[in-house]
Amino acid sequence: MTKTSPKILVIDDDPDFREAVAPILKSALYDVISAANPAEAKEKILSEKPDLILLDIMMDSLFDGFSLCHAIKTSPEYADVQSTPVIFVSAVKEIAGSRFQFKGDEQGMIGPDDYIDKPVKPADLLARIEKLLKS
Amino acid sequence: MTEQKPLVLIIDDEEAMRDSCTQILLKSGFRAETAEDGAAGLKKIKDLGPDLVLVDLKMPGISGFEVLDRLKNLDPHIIPIVITGYATVDSAVEAMKKGAYDFLPKPFSPEELRIIIRRAYERRKLILEAEALRTEKKLLEENFITMVSHQLRSPLVTIQQYFEVILAGMVGPVDEKPKEMIFKARDRLDGLLHLINDWLDLARINKGQIVDKFKTLDIQKMLEKLIDFMRPLAQEYGVAVELNTAPAPLLVLGDEESLEQVFTNLINNAIKYTKPGGRVHLNLKIDAGFIAVAVEDTGIGIAKEHLPFIFDQFYQVHRSQGKKMKGTGLGLSIAKKIVDAHNGTIDVSSEPDAGSTFIVRLPRP
Repeated sequence: MTKTSPKILVIDDDPDFREAVAPILKSALYDVISAANPAEAKEKILSEKPDLILLDIMMDSLFDGFSLCHAIKTSPEYADVQSTPVIFVSAVKEIAGSRFQFKGDEQGMIGPDDYIDKPVKPADLLARIEKLLKS
Repeated sequence: MTEQKPLVLIIDDEEAMRDSCTQILLKSGFRAETAEDGAAGLKKIKDLGPDLVLVDLKMPGISGFEVLDRLKNLDPHIIPIVITGYATVDSAVEAMKKGAYDFLPKPFSPEELRIIIRRAYERRKLILEAEALRTEKKLLEENFITMVSHQLRSPLVTIQQYFEVILAGMVGPVDEKPKEMIFKARDRLDGLLHLINDWLDLARINKGQIVDKFKTLDIQKMLEKLIDFMRPLAQEYGVAVELNTAPAPLLVLGDEESLEQVFTNLINNAIKYTKPGGRVHLNLKIDAGFIAVAVEDTGIGIAKEHLPFIFDQFYQVHRSQGKKMKGTGLGLSIAKKIVDAHNGTIDVSSEPDAGSTFIVRLPRP
């Protein structure tokens, strides 16, 4: 019996970024699905039940990514997929890696399982994904 | 704003007046609250935040004039209308001077009340709308830099992502020559991203905002953390980074985030301009009302003629020999702007081929 490959959902409003990141995931034999906006993301999360989510935190607004993550982790409508690991992906990296790090917990928002800067380094991304899928 | 009906507070010592006004207002699409004297009225203004206030000028206790005086402190945009039994020109003028929007001489007809209240509410809506627009504009300005940063960076980062994937050989084999060129393209793009970052940082540094975030900081702890963070870079350049330790915590008054940037820039420079085997030494001491942080390197140094300009924007020392240094020429300008916002000082002394020392003085709490 062969187990199917883990499925990864890439949520990003930039189609080129989704295209550029997909080969990294495919190289490690993950199934890749994608969503371009929060509504599509919601639909795919519930119908496809991905094993891990890569979530751009700067979609229409900084708030979208944060609130989607919070909803996945706490909202009853996502109860079935609550334990899905979420990695925040952001192009707004700053010195010492601190400035735009998740600060939502100050407002009672649940944060992601990991955080990675764009452009993502293939080896770094794959290592983080593997670590989260194992745990 | 909520869909709730506008709220009118009636402050009058006569019960009959309060009741009749309430009846008229309720029938005209408003909500009404009442208070029988000035003190109770002011409390309701504070607690309920009405849109409009009808206030009788002649009341026992706090007078209508005094209510007018005080309600603007509770809500600067509230619209007061005075009711007066003595419709003298004098009292009306005085009330208007104190900020009343209009006045109603007793006795008045329901229609007169309705006309005045509706007009006053139109005014209230206009004022609130203008206020909301002002707030929105301010927010936009504050977010402008973040948005521009995002708009500029996003496409570049996506280009970088394509390069990363191609270079990792994940979309097919790449020959040596094209690979070399893509590496170079990636490096140039990296430089451009750094430049955008630095430029936006420079625009973002704002004395008022920095001062707002002032708190007491243990500067030694902060430097230890930064050095730890920069250890991989130091190892890459073969440079040792040391910090002398003080027996007691050395405290400064400052904004943690921006000060981290100052010392990141200084230590980063010190490492990059020092040859392998060299060292970067950070020395902390109390200097009167200041803590002086010296960042000392054994690097290539800066010639005397360049020293006066190194804090200028985009100034880079052009060197005839040695490898080209990567940088945007903004790191020291950013550091100086931040230190200035702290009412501190930043100074440099240097000896070519011996090393440079940057001294930052920051005020103690």
